[in-house]
Amino acid sequence: MSSRHFAALCLLPLAIFAIAFLALPIVRLMLASGEGEAGWGVYWQILQTPRYLSTMGQTLAVSLAVTATALFVSTTAGLFLTRNRFAGRSLLLAILTLPLAFPGVVVGFMIILLGGRQGLFNTILPGHVVFAYSTLGLFLGYLYFSIPRVLLTVMAAAEKIDPALEEAARTLGAPPHRVLFDVLLPALSPALVAAGAIAFATAMGAFGTAFTLATNIDVLPMVIYSEFTLFANMATAAALSVCLGLVTWAVLMVARNVSGAVVAAGG
Amino acid sequence: MRAGYVFQLAVTLLAAAFLFVPTVQSVLAGLTANYFLGLRSGLTLQWIGVVWGLYADSIFLSLGIALACWAVTLLIGVPAGYALARYPGRLARALDEFVALPLAIPGLALALALIQLYGGFRDFRMSWTFILVGHVLYTLPFMIRAVMAVLLAIDLKTLEEGAASLGAPPARRFIDIVVPNAMPGILAGSLTVVTLSIGEFNLTWMLHTPFLKTLPVGLADSYASMRLEIASAYTLIFFVMIVPLLLAMQWASARAQRIIQ
Amino acid sequence: MKYSLIALAFATVLATPAVSADNAICYNCPPEWADWASMLKALEQKAGIRMPHDNKNSGQTLSQLIAEKASPVADIAYYGVTTGIAAAKAGVVAPYKPKGFDEIPDGLKDPEGYWFAVHYGTLGLFVNVDALRGAPVPKCWADLSRPEYRGMVGYLDPASAFVGYVGAVAVNKAFGGNLDNFDPAIRYFKELAANRPIVPKQTSYARVVSGEIPILFDYDFNAYRAKYTENGRFEFVLPCEGTIKVPYVMSLVAGAPRAEVGKRALDFILSDEGQAIWTNAYLKPARPVPLPEKIANRFLPESEYARAGSVDYAAMAAVQQAFSERYLAEVK
Repeated sequence: MSSRHFAALCLLPLAIFAIAFLALPIVRLMLASGEGEAGWGVYWQILQTPRYLSTMGQTLAVSLAVTATALFVSTTAGLFLTRNRFAGRSLLLAILTLPLAFPGVVVGFMIILLGGRQGLFNTILPGHVVFAYSTLGLFLGYLYFSIPRVLLTVMAAAEKIDPALEEAARTLGAPPHRVLFDVLLPALSPALVAAGAIAFATAMGAFGTAFTLATNIDVLPMVIYSEFTLFANMATAAALSVCLGLVTWAVLMVARNVSGAVVAAGG
Repeated sequence: MRAGYVFQLAVTLLAAAFLFVPTVQSVLAGLTANYFLGLRSGLTLQWIGVVWGLYADSIFLSLGIALACWAVTLLIGVPAGYALARYPGRLARALDEFVALPLAIPGLALALALIQLYGGFRDFRMSWTFILVGHVLYTLPFMIRAVMAVLLAIDLKTLEEGAASLGAPPARRFIDIVVPNAMPGILAGSLTVVTLSIGEFNLTWMLHTPFLKTLPVGLADSYASMRLEIASAYTLIFFVMIVPLLLAMQWASARAQRIIQ
Repeated sequence: MKYSLIALAFATVLATPAVSADNAICYNCPPEWADWASMLKALEQKAGIRMPHDNKNSGQTLSQLIAEKASPVADIAYYGVTTGIAAAKAGVVAPYKPKGFDEIPDGLKDPEGYWFAVHYGTLGLFVNVDALRGAPVPKCWADLSRPEYRGMVGYLDPASAFVGYVGAVAVNKAFGGNLDNFDPAIRYFKELAANRPIVPKQTSYARVVSGEIPILFDYDFNAYRAKYTENGRFEFVLPCEGTIKVPYVMSLVAGAPRAEVGKRALDFILSDEGQAIWTNAYLKPARPVPLPEKIANRFLPESEYARAGSVDYAAMAAVQQAFSERYLAEVK
């Protein structure tokens, strides 16, 4: 058997699985969105319903804010940890990357422990400091699982930066912030874009955190769930899912083309 | 320079505290007799006992599904990763993108799609394999990309052509050359798959039935409806399961990264 | 290779709890609600039926039933009366009259047996007095918008949980509205929204007990159970403006995979033994089974309960979806 045939054979299980459990269901979901009372007009209806638009806007806003903050925090921490060796470094690193696999519900619980009525902040600080159930709580929850994600990718890329570049800049007299903005960040930018895209996609689709926090700010996955539980409004739930999927996928596509690299494993 | 260093250190420590403090709280709450009274009420293992009584099946189910997920992603992902790395091109890129869709599409939507299409097959619907499909969908891209990353970093073409010129057929080359070289990626990918499967919630929430609660679904249950101590004890068990896996995953990924460089 | 074998072994072990004759699935049997925990234990010990607990709310139950209509997963369902009416209309439940069906009063069952009440309760405020941190126990619906209760009030989502909807109907009636006019309710929730309420989707008994939600719109039975079995001070308040009482009903799922076991479970729940478990948990039973004296004495006096009226449940069901959509559009 030729090499090409063997490679095709290697792809066969993937093809079967992807068609049966990814392609066909997605098609079915798209068809389901058109099976409601309004037919395909449901998409037009969604665009005209202020509640859905504002929810989409809120979801985008939270996701973008979280991505930006996570990029800032993780890049700072990532650069710091890559270029400094000290006692306790591995411990810090482990702490910062552990929440990678926490489901959203656990993250929501963590936020309640910090900022709920019986949370740490309300117990320690005077007055009434309960932020778990507000927008801030949701933002912090999303930040909680975004920081590890971004950190891993940033660190992987930071380790690859040629120290000679930084040395050269410094010997030429560049102050630290110039070194940062002119040498380090540009070198990191593909990784930052890739990491930011993944963080954004995860935030857009996050469900467990909002579900646990029962916040007043609605994000699109919660609305999809509400539609589903409101007399099994499948068509609207499906249509909203398709919209959410398209928006997220589009952002990832753009990021992919801009960064041009394959996202590393484990991030 | 000092100011920059201090600033960076402060941000790093603050972030670490933010992530770590509630986990400590949770562990303590799971071992405290009464959270309201705090540590004064004493430490106890009773809540862990209660959690075991209520949710033991969910823990075993999660473990079992994670192992099954690993087996399936190995069988599907390693050959696929090889094929995509050996013949990179537009088709490979497109396929890789497509397989990574479950990372972009919200789990909720994917689960709805699966229920719409396969909900009618009752035996499938009510079996743990239904949940397994969801987990494989979500973790397969990680296995494939881990394998691809490592294989793309070595000169696979030359190695294979060398072996081919010595008369080795494709299947032999796969077993003797590709798999050993891909090992760091397979290892990193495997740990990622198992870890993510244990923690998967978005898809499983929609796909599960009351007899098939996985650990995260049980956790959501307990956060919403059970006492804080029970929820914390349950979270503690989850931590105990997942932390060693995460540490191993990081070690394996670092190893793979060194190869890629 | 070795590891794949281990995985396969695990997989086969997992495949074994294939559904046997004595397993059954109930949608919406939360252990911390109406003491379902005791009922589920009794079902296992006395009737030999293994039913896992399930924390869905009424709305989620109905939607799941509708989504699974072609191939049902559940055998029986428990939900509020209006959800039961909607389920019958959606064709996802089957008629079944358990033993004792005839003793259920007429307004509390579907004549053909598509749904029937198993117990009922009165809506009010379930209060964790210790968690109020010194603020007085509220007496009226209107009190809840006051600044001393900021961030302390919780109510289940009226768009998905039946108890949430009942809260809305009760508040509506208390402030002069009726089933054709939900303006007072919408106005009330909008006002309350300014006071930072928590709006969970599923039963939150434990959160009240732990103090995370000091005041919850909930039924008398949940509050009494906390008051008399949990550590801490809890109260049930029947708001001064008035409230309503509603039944919770159960149905046999149409096309249930284990219909016979489901029927046995429903028989047990409606039997004297089953009803006694409800009465022990401060629920008013559907069949005229007398409450134990100790329990009966722990209820608030009749003078308080005079403020609890009832509603035309069929009409309540008819307007539920419209109200849910209005709530989501205007209050959220």
